[in-house]
Amino acid sequence: MTWRAIGQRAIGTAHVQSGKVCEDALAFQRVTSPDGDVLIACASDGAGSALFAAEASQLVTEKTVKVLCNYAKDAYVVRDVDIIMLAEELYDELNRRAALVNCALNEFSCTFLGCYIQNHQAIFFQIGDGAIVREDGHGSFTPVWWPHNGEYSNTTTFLVDDPSFPNLRITTLDQDIREVAIFTDGLQNLILNTEAVSVHQPFFGALFPWLRKSKTDEEIQILQQKLGEYLSGSLINSRTDDDKTLFLATRNFE
Amino acid sequence: MSDYIPFEQIPFGSESFADNPEPRCPCVLLLDTSGSMSGVPIQQLNEGIATFKNELLSDPLATKRVEVAIVTFGPARLESDFHTVSNFFPNQLTASGDTPMGEAITMGIGLVTKRKQDYKNAGIAYYKPWIILITDGSPTDSWRGAAAQVKEGEAGKKFAFFAIGVESANFEILKEISVRDPLKLKGLMFREFFTWLSASMKMVSSKNPGSNINLLPPSGWSDL
Repeated sequence: MTWRAIGQRAIGTAHVQSGKVCEDALAFQRVTSPDGDVLIACASDGAGSALFAAEASQLVTEKTVKVLCNYAKDAYVVRDVDIIMLAEELYDELNRRAALVNCALNEFSCTFLGCYIQNHQAIFFQIGDGAIVREDGHGSFTPVWWPHNGEYSNTTTFLVDDPSFPNLRITTLDQDIREVAIFTDGLQNLILNTEAVSVHQPFFGALFPWLRKSKTDEEIQILQQKLGEYLSGSLINSRTDDDKTLFLATRNFE
Repeated sequence: MSDYIPFEQIPFGSESFADNPEPRCPCVLLLDTSGSMSGVPIQQLNEGIATFKNELLSDPLATKRVEVAIVTFGPARLESDFHTVSNFFPNQLTASGDTPMGEAITMGIGLVTKRKQDYKNAGIAYYKPWIILITDGSPTDSWRGAAAQVKEGEAGKKFAFFAIGVESANFEILKEISVRDPLKLKGLMFREFFTWLSASMKMVSSKNPGSNINLLPPSGWSDL
Protein backbone atom coordinates (compact mmCIF):
# COMPACT_ATOMS: atom_id res chain seq x y z
CA MET A 1 0.00 0.00 0.00
CA THR A 2 1.04 3.53 -0.57
CA TRP A 3 2.32 6.08 1.92
CA ARG A 4 -0.12 8.12 3.92
CA ALA A 5 1.56 11.20 5.33
CA ILE A 6 0.60 14.22 7.37
CA GLY A 7 2.72 16.99 8.81
CA GLN A 8 2.27 20.35 10.46
CA ARG A 9 4.28 23.06 12.12
CA ALA A 10 3.02 25.42 14.81
CA ILE A 11 4.40 28.63 16.21
CA GLY A 12 5.66 28.56 19.81
CA THR A 13 4.12 30.77 22.48
CA ALA A 14 7.50 32.41 23.08
CA HIS A 15 7.62 33.39 19.42
CA VAL A 16 4.08 34.76 19.58
CA GLN A 17 5.05 36.83 22.62
CA SER A 18 8.11 38.29 20.98
CA GLY A 19 6.20 39.00 17.77
CA LYS A 20 8.19 36.52 15.70
CA VAL A 21 6.91 34.20 13.01
CA CYS A 22 7.16 30.41 13.07
CA GLU A 23 10.74 29.60 12.16
CA ASP A 24 10.24 25.87 11.70
CA ALA A 25 9.58 24.62 8.21
CA LEU A 26 8.44 21.31 6.79
CA ALA A 27 8.07 19.95 3.27
CA PHE A 28 7.12 16.45 2.20
CA GLN A 29 6.11 14.64 -0.95
CA ARG A 30 5.16 11.19 -2.12
CA VAL A 31 6.57 10.39 -5.54
CA THR A 32 5.47 7.56 -7.77
CA SER A 33 8.46 5.92 -9.41
CA PRO A 34 8.87 2.87 -11.66
CA ASP A 35 9.95 0.95 -8.53
CA GLY A 36 7.07 2.04 -6.37
CA ASP A 37 6.39 4.97 -4.12
CA VAL A 38 9.13 7.08 -2.61
CA LEU A 39 8.51 9.09 0.54
CA ILE A 40 10.47 12.33 0.88
CA ALA A 41 10.37 14.64 3.88
CA CYS A 42 12.50 17.44 5.26
CA ALA A 43 12.11 19.50 8.43
CA SER A 44 14.20 22.44 9.58
CA ASP A 45 14.28 24.55 12.72
CA GLY A 46 15.54 28.08 12.19
CA ALA A 47 17.80 29.25 15.03
CA GLY A 48 16.00 31.54 17.46
CA SER A 49 18.77 34.10 17.34
CA ALA A 50 19.17 34.16 13.56
CA LEU A 51 17.65 37.12 11.74
CA PHE A 52 16.63 35.09 8.68
CA ALA A 53 15.77 31.84 10.47
CA ALA A 54 12.36 31.48 8.84
CA GLU A 55 13.69 32.12 5.34
CA ALA A 56 16.54 29.67 5.89
CA SER A 57 14.37 26.82 7.13
CA GLN A 58 11.86 27.38 4.34
CA LEU A 59 14.55 27.41 1.67
CA VAL A 60 16.22 24.28 3.04
CA THR A 61 13.05 22.20 3.23
CA GLU A 62 11.67 23.27 -0.15
CA LYS A 63 14.92 22.81 -2.03
CA THR A 64 15.65 19.46 -0.39
CA VAL A 65 12.29 18.04 -1.33
CA LYS A 66 12.60 19.41 -4.86
CA VAL A 67 16.03 17.86 -5.39
CA LEU A 68 15.01 14.52 -3.89
CA CYS A 69 11.79 14.43 -5.92
CA ASN A 70 13.86 14.61 -9.10
CA TYR A 71 15.88 11.62 -7.91
CA ALA A 72 12.73 9.73 -6.98
CA LYS A 73 11.07 10.07 -10.38
CA ASP A 74 13.83 7.91 -11.85
CA ALA A 75 13.76 5.50 -8.88
CA TYR A 76 17.33 6.62 -8.20
CA VAL A 77 18.92 5.15 -5.10
CA VAL A 78 20.16 8.16 -3.14
CA ARG A 79 23.57 7.64 -1.55
CA ASP A 80 25.56 9.48 1.11
CA VAL A 81 27.42 11.48 -1.52
CA ASP A 82 24.15 12.80 -2.94
CA ILE A 83 23.09 14.06 0.48
CA ILE A 84 26.47 15.72 0.99
CA MET A 85 26.14 17.40 -2.42
CA LEU A 86 22.65 18.50 -1.47
CA ALA A 87 23.95 19.97 1.79
CA GLU A 88 26.65 21.80 -0.18
CA GLU A 89 24.06 23.24 -2.54
CA LEU A 90 21.98 24.39 0.42
CA TYR A 91 25.04 25.92 2.07
CA ASP A 92 25.94 27.79 -1.12
CA GLU A 93 22.41 29.02 -1.58
CA LEU A 94 22.19 30.28 2.02
CA ASN A 95 25.57 31.92 1.56
CA ARG A 96 24.30 33.71 -1.56
CA ARG A 97 21.22 34.90 0.31
CA ALA A 98 23.37 36.17 3.18
CA ALA A 99 25.60 38.08 0.76
CA LEU A 100 22.53 39.52 -0.94
CA VAL A 101 21.24 41.04 2.29
CA ASN A 102 24.77 41.83 3.50
CA CYS A 103 24.46 39.66 6.59
CA ALA A 104 26.64 37.15 8.40
CA LEU A 105 25.92 33.60 7.27
CA ASN A 106 24.87 32.58 10.78
CA GLU A 107 21.79 34.80 10.39
CA PHE A 108 20.62 31.90 8.19
CA SER A 109 21.26 29.19 10.79
CA CYS A 110 18.86 26.26 10.74
CA THR A 111 18.83 22.53 11.39
CA PHE A 112 18.39 19.91 8.68
CA LEU A 113 16.46 16.64 9.09
CA GLY A 114 15.04 14.39 6.44
CA CYS A 115 14.43 11.06 4.82
CA TYR A 116 14.15 9.44 1.40
CA ILE A 117 12.38 6.11 1.75
CA GLN A 118 12.08 3.59 -1.07
CA ASN A 119 10.60 0.12 -0.96
CA HIS A 120 13.53 -1.81 0.43
CA GLN A 121 15.87 0.88 1.56
CA ALA A 122 15.86 4.27 3.13
CA ILE A 123 18.36 7.04 3.69
CA PHE A 124 18.14 9.46 6.62
CA PHE A 125 20.11 12.64 7.24
CA GLN A 126 20.39 15.16 10.03
CA ILE A 127 22.32 18.22 11.22
CA GLY A 128 21.45 19.63 14.63
CA ASP A 129 18.69 18.81 17.08
CA GLY A 130 15.23 17.36 16.58
CA ALA A 131 14.84 13.69 15.70
CA ILE A 132 13.76 11.16 13.12
CA VAL A 133 11.96 8.17 14.57
CA ARG A 134 11.11 4.95 12.75
CA GLU A 135 8.98 1.96 13.51
CA ASP A 136 11.36 -0.93 14.18
CA GLY A 137 9.31 -3.69 12.52
CA HIS A 138 7.84 -4.84 15.84
CA GLY A 139 5.44 -1.99 16.48
CA SER A 140 7.75 0.11 18.54
CA PHE A 141 9.45 3.40 17.69
CA THR A 142 13.14 4.05 17.81
CA PRO A 143 15.19 7.15 16.95
CA VAL A 144 17.50 6.95 13.97
CA TRP A 145 19.88 9.14 16.01
CA TRP A 146 19.72 10.59 19.45
CA PRO A 147 19.46 14.38 19.08
CA HIS A 148 22.63 16.37 19.00
CA ASN A 149 22.58 19.15 21.56
CA GLY A 150 25.57 21.01 22.86
CA GLU A 151 26.37 21.39 26.54
CA TYR A 152 23.38 23.66 26.93
CA SER A 153 19.79 22.77 26.11
CA ASN A 154 19.42 25.62 23.68
CA THR A 155 22.59 25.14 21.70
CA THR A 156 23.00 22.85 18.73
CA THR A 157 24.66 22.65 15.35
CA PHE A 158 23.39 24.14 12.12
CA LEU A 159 23.71 23.58 8.41
CA VAL A 160 25.74 26.77 7.88
CA ASP A 161 28.20 26.05 10.72
CA ASP A 162 30.86 24.52 8.52
CA PRO A 163 30.96 23.77 4.76
CA SER A 164 32.71 20.46 5.42
CA PHE A 165 29.67 19.32 7.46
CA PRO A 166 31.38 17.59 10.40
CA ASN A 167 27.96 17.34 12.07
CA LEU A 168 26.05 15.89 9.14
CA ARG A 169 24.81 12.42 9.96
CA ILE A 170 23.69 10.11 7.18
CA THR A 171 22.61 6.50 7.36
CA THR A 172 21.14 4.01 4.92
CA LEU A 173 18.93 1.19 6.16
CA ASP A 174 18.24 -1.75 3.86
CA GLN A 175 14.79 -2.32 5.27
CA ASP A 176 11.14 -1.83 4.50
CA ILE A 177 10.44 1.15 6.69
CA ARG A 178 6.73 1.03 7.54
CA GLU A 179 6.40 4.15 9.61
CA VAL A 180 8.44 7.24 10.20
CA ALA A 181 8.09 10.43 12.19
CA ILE A 182 10.19 13.57 12.12
CA PHE A 183 10.01 16.31 14.74
CA THR A 184 11.93 19.44 15.63
CA ASP A 185 13.49 20.46 18.93
CA GLY A 186 10.22 21.95 20.26
CA LEU A 187 8.78 18.45 20.74
CA GLN A 188 11.95 16.71 21.79
CA ASN A 189 11.34 16.88 25.52
CA LEU A 190 7.78 15.59 25.09
CA ILE A 191 8.61 12.60 22.90
CA LEU A 192 12.03 11.44 24.05
CA ASN A 193 12.82 10.13 27.53
CA THR A 194 16.23 11.59 28.21
CA GLU A 195 16.97 9.37 31.17
CA ALA A 196 16.07 6.09 29.43
CA VAL A 197 17.35 7.36 26.06
CA SER A 198 14.20 6.07 24.37
CA VAL A 199 11.04 7.16 22.62
CA HIS A 200 7.98 7.76 24.79
CA GLN A 201 5.85 5.18 22.93
CA PRO A 202 2.38 6.37 24.05
CA PHE A 203 2.95 9.63 22.21
CA PHE A 204 2.83 7.90 18.85
CA GLY A 205 0.30 5.35 20.12
CA ALA A 206 -2.30 8.11 20.05
CA LEU A 207 -1.40 9.25 16.55
CA PHE A 208 -0.31 6.47 14.22
CA PRO A 209 -3.28 4.08 14.68
CA TRP A 210 -5.58 6.73 13.19
CA LEU A 211 -3.32 7.40 10.28
CA ARG A 212 -3.19 3.63 9.63
CA LYS A 213 -6.99 3.51 9.64
CA SER A 214 -7.42 6.39 7.25
CA LYS A 215 -8.58 5.20 3.87
CA THR A 216 -9.50 8.24 1.88
CA ASP A 217 -7.83 11.53 1.06
CA GLU A 218 -10.64 13.20 2.93
CA GLU A 219 -9.81 11.27 6.11
CA ILE A 220 -6.12 12.09 5.76
CA GLN A 221 -7.10 15.71 5.31
CA ILE A 222 -9.07 15.61 8.57
CA LEU A 223 -6.07 14.14 10.39
CA GLN A 224 -3.85 16.77 8.84
CA GLN A 225 -6.10 19.44 10.29
CA LYS A 226 -6.34 17.70 13.66
CA LEU A 227 -2.57 17.48 13.84
CA GLY A 228 -2.36 21.24 13.40
CA GLU A 229 -4.89 21.79 16.17
CA TYR A 230 -3.04 19.37 18.43
CA LEU A 231 0.31 21.09 17.93
CA SER A 232 -1.22 24.52 18.56
CA GLY A 233 -3.29 23.35 21.53
CA SER A 234 -2.83 24.16 25.20
CA LEU A 235 -1.78 20.59 26.04
CA ILE A 236 1.38 20.93 23.99
CA ASN A 237 1.88 24.63 24.70
CA SER A 238 1.93 24.02 28.44
CA ARG A 239 5.00 21.86 27.88
CA THR A 240 6.93 23.79 25.29
CA ASP A 241 7.10 27.43 24.24
CA ASP A 242 9.16 26.73 21.13
CA ASP A 243 8.08 26.32 17.52
CA LYS A 244 7.32 22.68 16.80
CA THR A 245 6.97 20.49 13.76
CA LEU A 246 5.67 16.96 13.49
CA PHE A 247 5.62 14.76 10.41
CA LEU A 248 4.05 11.28 10.38
CA ALA A 249 3.90 8.71 7.59
CA THR A 250 2.73 5.11 7.42
CA ARG A 251 2.41 2.30 4.87
CA ASN A 252 1.84 -1.45 4.82
CA PHE A 253 1.01 -1.58 8.50
CA GLU A 254 -1.45 -4.39 9.16
CA MET B 1 -16.29 -1.86 9.99
CA SER B 2 -18.77 -1.97 12.84
CA ASP B 3 -16.69 0.11 15.20
CA TYR B 4 -16.34 2.92 12.73
CA ILE B 5 -15.95 6.35 14.30
CA PRO B 6 -16.24 9.39 12.08
CA PHE B 7 -12.75 10.86 11.71
CA GLU B 8 -14.03 14.26 12.79
CA GLN B 9 -14.64 12.81 16.27
CA ILE B 10 -11.51 10.81 16.98
CA PRO B 11 -9.29 11.76 19.92
CA PHE B 12 -6.22 12.50 17.81
CA GLY B 13 -3.07 13.24 19.76
CA SER B 14 -1.55 11.98 22.97
CA GLU B 15 -2.07 13.46 26.40
CA SER B 16 0.86 11.40 27.58
CA PHE B 17 4.30 12.93 27.25
CA ALA B 18 7.78 11.89 28.21
CA ASP B 19 8.30 12.68 31.87
CA ASN B 20 11.64 14.43 31.63
CA PRO B 21 13.01 16.73 34.27
CA GLU B 22 12.70 20.25 32.92
CA PRO B 23 15.96 21.67 31.72
CA ARG B 24 17.19 24.15 34.31
CA CYS B 25 18.34 27.67 33.87
CA PRO B 26 20.51 28.69 36.81
CA CYS B 27 20.59 32.37 37.61
CA VAL B 28 22.74 34.02 40.28
CA LEU B 29 21.93 37.50 41.47
CA LEU B 30 24.89 39.35 42.94
CA LEU B 31 23.27 42.14 44.89
CA ASP B 32 24.93 45.18 46.34
CA THR B 33 23.63 45.64 49.90
CA SER B 34 26.34 48.01 51.04
CA GLY B 35 25.61 51.00 53.25
CA SER B 36 25.02 53.31 50.29
CA MET B 37 22.02 51.19 49.32
CA SER B 38 20.21 51.94 52.55
CA GLY B 39 16.88 53.68 52.49
CA VAL B 40 14.92 53.84 49.26
CA PRO B 41 17.40 51.90 47.05
CA ILE B 42 17.37 48.74 49.22
CA GLN B 43 13.62 49.00 49.48
CA GLN B 44 13.35 49.21 45.72
CA LEU B 45 15.78 46.33 45.34
CA ASN B 46 13.62 44.19 47.65
CA GLU B 47 10.55 45.13 45.67
CA GLY B 48 12.47 44.36 42.49
CA ILE B 49 13.31 40.86 43.69
CA ALA B 50 9.68 40.25 44.60
CA THR B 51 8.69 41.48 41.14
CA PHE B 52 11.33 39.21 39.64
CA LYS B 53 9.82 36.21 41.43
CA ASN B 54 6.25 37.14 40.51
CA GLU B 55 7.11 37.75 36.88
CA LEU B 56 8.81 34.35 36.68
CA LEU B 57 5.87 32.69 38.43
CA SER B 58 3.52 34.09 35.78
CA ASP B 59 5.42 32.10 33.15
CA PRO B 60 4.74 28.36 33.57
CA LEU B 61 7.93 27.28 31.84
CA ALA B 62 10.15 29.77 33.62
CA THR B 63 8.60 28.64 36.91
CA LYS B 64 9.78 25.11 36.23
CA ARG B 65 13.11 25.95 34.67
CA VAL B 66 14.68 28.95 36.30
CA GLU B 67 16.64 28.43 39.50
CA VAL B 68 17.66 31.50 41.45
CA ALA B 69 20.47 31.97 43.94
CA ILE B 70 21.36 35.21 45.67
CA VAL B 71 24.72 36.47 46.87
CA THR B 72 24.69 39.77 48.71
CA PHE B 73 27.68 41.95 49.30
CA GLY B 74 28.62 43.95 52.10
CA PRO B 75 29.82 41.60 53.33
CA ALA B 76 29.80 38.89 50.62
CA ARG B 77 27.57 36.03 51.70
CA LEU B 78 25.34 33.38 50.19
CA GLU B 79 21.93 34.77 50.97
CA SER B 80 19.98 32.00 49.23
CA ASP B 81 21.23 28.89 47.40
CA PHE B 82 19.64 27.68 44.13
CA HIS B 83 15.89 27.16 44.28
CA THR B 84 13.28 26.85 41.59
CA VAL B 85 11.08 29.91 41.50
CA SER B 86 8.20 28.44 43.48
CA ASN B 87 10.61 27.49 46.28
CA PHE B 88 12.40 30.78 46.19
CA PHE B 89 11.45 32.90 49.21
CA PRO B 90 13.81 35.83 49.37
CA ASN B 91 14.36 37.50 52.73
CA GLN B 92 14.10 41.24 53.03
CA LEU B 93 17.60 42.54 52.45
CA THR B 94 19.09 45.20 54.64
CA ALA B 95 21.92 47.52 53.68
CA SER B 96 25.14 47.81 55.63
CA GLY B 97 28.91 47.54 55.26
CA ASP B 98 31.24 48.12 52.35
CA THR B 99 31.16 46.80 48.75
CA PRO B 100 33.30 43.62 48.35
CA MET B 101 32.16 43.13 44.77
CA GLY B 102 35.17 41.04 43.73
CA GLU B 103 34.57 38.46 46.45
CA ALA B 104 30.87 38.27 45.54
CA ILE B 105 31.65 37.68 41.84
CA THR B 106 34.10 34.87 42.71
CA MET B 107 31.45 33.33 44.95
CA GLY B 108 28.84 33.56 42.17
CA ILE B 109 31.11 31.87 39.64
CA GLY B 110 31.79 29.08 42.15
CA LEU B 111 28.06 28.60 42.62
CA VAL B 112 27.26 28.12 38.93
CA THR B 113 30.23 25.80 38.44
CA LYS B 114 29.04 23.56 41.25
CA ARG B 115 25.43 23.72 40.09
CA LYS B 116 26.32 22.56 36.57
CA GLN B 117 28.12 19.58 38.06
CA ASP B 118 25.00 18.77 40.12
CA TYR B 119 22.88 18.84 36.93
CA LYS B 120 25.32 16.61 35.11
CA ASN B 121 25.34 14.10 37.96
CA ALA B 122 21.53 14.03 37.98
CA GLY B 123 21.19 13.82 34.18
CA ILE B 124 19.35 17.12 33.96
CA ALA B 125 19.72 19.26 30.87
CA TYR B 126 20.50 22.90 31.47
CA TYR B 127 20.84 26.27 29.90
CA LYS B 128 23.81 28.55 30.09
CA PRO B 129 23.92 30.01 33.60
CA TRP B 130 23.41 33.70 34.08
CA ILE B 131 25.25 35.79 36.61
CA ILE B 132 23.69 39.18 37.12
CA LEU B 133 25.49 41.82 39.11
CA ILE B 134 23.44 44.73 40.39
CA THR B 135 25.26 47.56 42.12
CA ASP B 136 25.01 51.23 42.92
CA GLY B 137 28.63 51.81 43.80
CA SER B 138 32.29 50.89 43.40
CA PRO B 139 34.05 47.76 44.67
CA THR B 140 35.90 48.24 47.95
CA ASP B 141 37.95 45.05 47.59
CA SER B 142 40.40 43.90 44.94
CA TRP B 143 38.23 43.10 41.94
CA ARG B 144 40.80 42.44 39.20
CA GLY B 145 41.02 38.71 39.95
CA ALA B 146 37.24 38.46 39.70
CA ALA B 147 37.28 40.41 36.45
CA ALA B 148 39.79 37.92 35.02
CA GLN B 149 37.54 35.03 36.10
CA VAL B 150 34.59 36.66 34.35
CA LYS B 151 36.59 37.06 31.14
CA GLU B 152 37.81 33.48 31.28
CA GLY B 153 34.31 32.12 31.96
CA GLU B 154 32.77 34.14 29.16
CA ALA B 155 35.47 33.02 26.73
CA GLY B 156 34.81 29.39 27.67
CA LYS B 157 31.03 29.92 27.39
CA LYS B 158 30.71 28.78 31.00
CA PHE B 159 28.20 31.48 31.90
CA ALA B 160 26.83 34.80 30.76
CA PHE B 161 27.72 37.72 33.00
CA PHE B 162 25.68 40.90 33.04
CA ALA B 163 26.45 44.02 35.03
CA ILE B 164 23.54 46.28 35.81
CA GLY B 165 24.26 49.66 37.33
CA VAL B 166 21.79 51.55 39.41
CA GLU B 167 22.02 55.33 39.51
CA SER B 168 25.47 56.21 40.93
CA ALA B 169 27.22 52.94 40.03
CA ASN B 170 30.84 53.15 38.87
CA PHE B 171 30.35 52.27 35.22
CA GLU B 172 34.06 52.61 34.47
CA ILE B 173 34.93 49.68 36.73
CA LEU B 174 31.85 47.71 35.65
CA LYS B 175 33.12 48.01 32.09
CA GLU B 176 36.41 46.46 33.16
CA ILE B 177 34.68 43.59 34.94
CA SER B 178 32.00 42.69 32.45
CA VAL B 179 32.79 41.55 28.92
CA ARG B 180 29.42 42.93 27.86
CA ASP B 181 28.78 46.61 28.28
CA PRO B 182 27.21 47.30 31.66
CA LEU B 183 23.67 48.54 31.46
CA LYS B 184 21.87 51.18 33.41
CA LEU B 185 18.61 49.92 34.78
CA LYS B 186 15.47 51.89 34.08
CA GLY B 187 13.17 51.28 37.01
CA LEU B 188 13.15 47.57 37.84
CA MET B 189 11.78 46.02 34.68
CA PHE B 190 12.69 42.43 35.36
CA ARG B 191 10.08 40.89 33.12
CA GLU B 192 11.51 42.66 30.10
CA PHE B 193 14.97 41.86 31.36
CA PHE B 194 14.13 38.14 31.62
CA THR B 195 12.51 37.97 28.20
CA TRP B 196 15.51 39.69 26.73
CA LEU B 197 17.95 37.33 28.43
CA SER B 198 16.19 34.14 27.44
CA ALA B 199 15.80 35.22 23.84
CA SER B 200 19.42 36.31 23.72
CA MET B 201 20.61 32.98 25.04
CA LYS B 202 19.45 31.19 21.95
CA MET B 203 22.65 32.26 20.42
CA VAL B 204 24.01 31.06 17.19
CA SER B 205 26.72 28.49 17.52
CA SER B 206 30.09 30.13 17.90
CA LYS B 207 31.45 27.76 15.30
CA ASN B 208 29.76 29.75 12.56
CA PRO B 209 32.17 31.43 10.21
CA GLY B 210 32.51 35.09 11.09
CA SER B 211 30.03 34.80 13.89
CA ASN B 212 29.63 36.91 16.96
CA ILE B 213 27.23 36.44 19.81
CA ASN B 214 23.94 38.07 18.98
CA LEU B 215 22.22 39.82 21.82
CA LEU B 216 18.94 41.51 21.33
CA PRO B 217 18.88 45.23 22.01
CA PRO B 218 18.00 45.72 25.70
CA SER B 219 15.00 47.78 24.80
CA GLY B 220 12.56 48.97 27.40
CA TRP B 221 14.37 48.22 30.64
CA SER B 222 17.64 50.03 30.15
CA ASP B 223 18.96 53.55 29.76
CA LEU B 224 21.98 52.78 27.68
